[in-house]
Amino acid sequence: MIHHKDIHEYLADFEDIPGTRVYTAARARKGYHLNQFAMSLMKPENRERWKADERAYLDEWPMSEEQKQAVLDRDYNRLLDLGGNIYFMAKVFSTDGLSFVQAVSTMTGMSVEDYQAMMNAGGRSPEGQRSIKGAY
Amino acid sequence: MARITAGIASSHIPLLGVAADQGKAGEEYFKPIFAGYDWTREWIAQPENKPDAVVLVYNDHASAFDMKVIPTFAIGCAERFGICDEGWGPRPVPDVEGHPDLAWHIAQSLILDEFDMTMINEMEVDHGLTVPLTMMFGAPEAWPVKVIPLAVNVVTYPPPSGNRCWALGEAIARAVDSFGEDLNVQIWGTGGMSHQLQGPRAGLINAEWDNRFLDMMTGDSDEARWIPHIEYLRETGSEGIEMVMWLIMRGALGKKTKCLHRHYHVPCSNTAIGHLVLEPD
Repeated sequence: MIHHKDIHEYLADFEDIPGTRVYTAARARKGYHLNQFAMSLMKPENRERWKADERAYLDEWPMSEEQKQAVLDRDYNRLLDLGGNIYFMAKVFSTDGLSFVQAVSTMTGMSVEDYQAMMNAGGRSPEGQRSIKGAY
Repeated sequence: MARITAGIASSHIPLLGVAADQGKAGEEYFKPIFAGYDWTREWIAQPENKPDAVVLVYNDHASAFDMKVIPTFAIGCAERFGICDEGWGPRPVPDVEGHPDLAWHIAQSLILDEFDMTMINEMEVDHGLTVPLTMMFGAPEAWPVKVIPLAVNVVTYPPPSGNRCWALGEAIARAVDSFGEDLNVQIWGTGGMSHQLQGPRAGLINAEWDNRFLDMMTGDSDEARWIPHIEYLRETGSEGIEMVMWLIMRGALGKKTKCLHRHYHVPCSNTAIGHLVLEPD
């Protein structure tokens, strides 16, 4: 049978991946209401209320001011830092009418066009992107 | 006696649903992607290959399950499953018909076999389940098979280990074998291949790794069941972890498999498309 890895070791490895926030329990706990807010946008009536007054809609949720501001700013890297998960955040950018490519590119510091061109050319190479410590 | 006759692996990228629903599958960007499924659509339409039921392994993308309840392995036992609204309205595809008799038989058997399943009696299904149906069957009035959704948590860490997924597949095969009715059952493993949808590293694709993984699905190797989560994350991007779901399909096919069809294409949206049709050998 497989050896059981210590949970601390298992989680520590995730911090060694460049440009990546793995959705761990710590992030899930921090982002609980942020993600549940995003989830609420699956209902058309909620999307209407959200579009009419984003700030008022956010104020119905027990989220931190930082989280609310990051949602208003559509700052997805910041939202991941504050416990957001991309599949939940997808409800926000889908409501904005953005595709995954359009929304995801905003996290990379590239324009949508450059990002799309990178994908069409085979995507981002894993070279040097696997480990911060190992730099491979 | 029911038996598992084949396994299908496929990515389940939402953009494919959009392309199919909006009649864009023939466009230059999508053509090579859909062309890789032509063989399968023809194969699965043959009476000797057409399954009566599919155990469809997929993950829910914050659709039916929010953060309130996070089942590691959940089996859909309902008569039917509606199509969920993922934020832009439900896909215009038929509801999915379940197979409650077989689903409950599998659920009960798995629990006796020490897999502590969550049973779901009401659930809507998202692109993770409907896109593979579209890729295999096109746009029929009603889906030509009954579907047993098997949802795996690959969103909140830790997801189940590769080994556990493989072993679950083996147990599903045992459960299907002990079902009284004579049924042709397929198991589909969906998701993947390499992709990362978040952070500055988004867009990562590792065609070399993906192709090694495709190689591992064929023959008598069980190497893939030992791949640790960190390897998927480092090598194939954060969402590449979905490939553990392919191991449930692979485990259910027994010691050795034969590859009938293989397709790989980059890109589709942010993702590398992988697709296999396998038979127990």
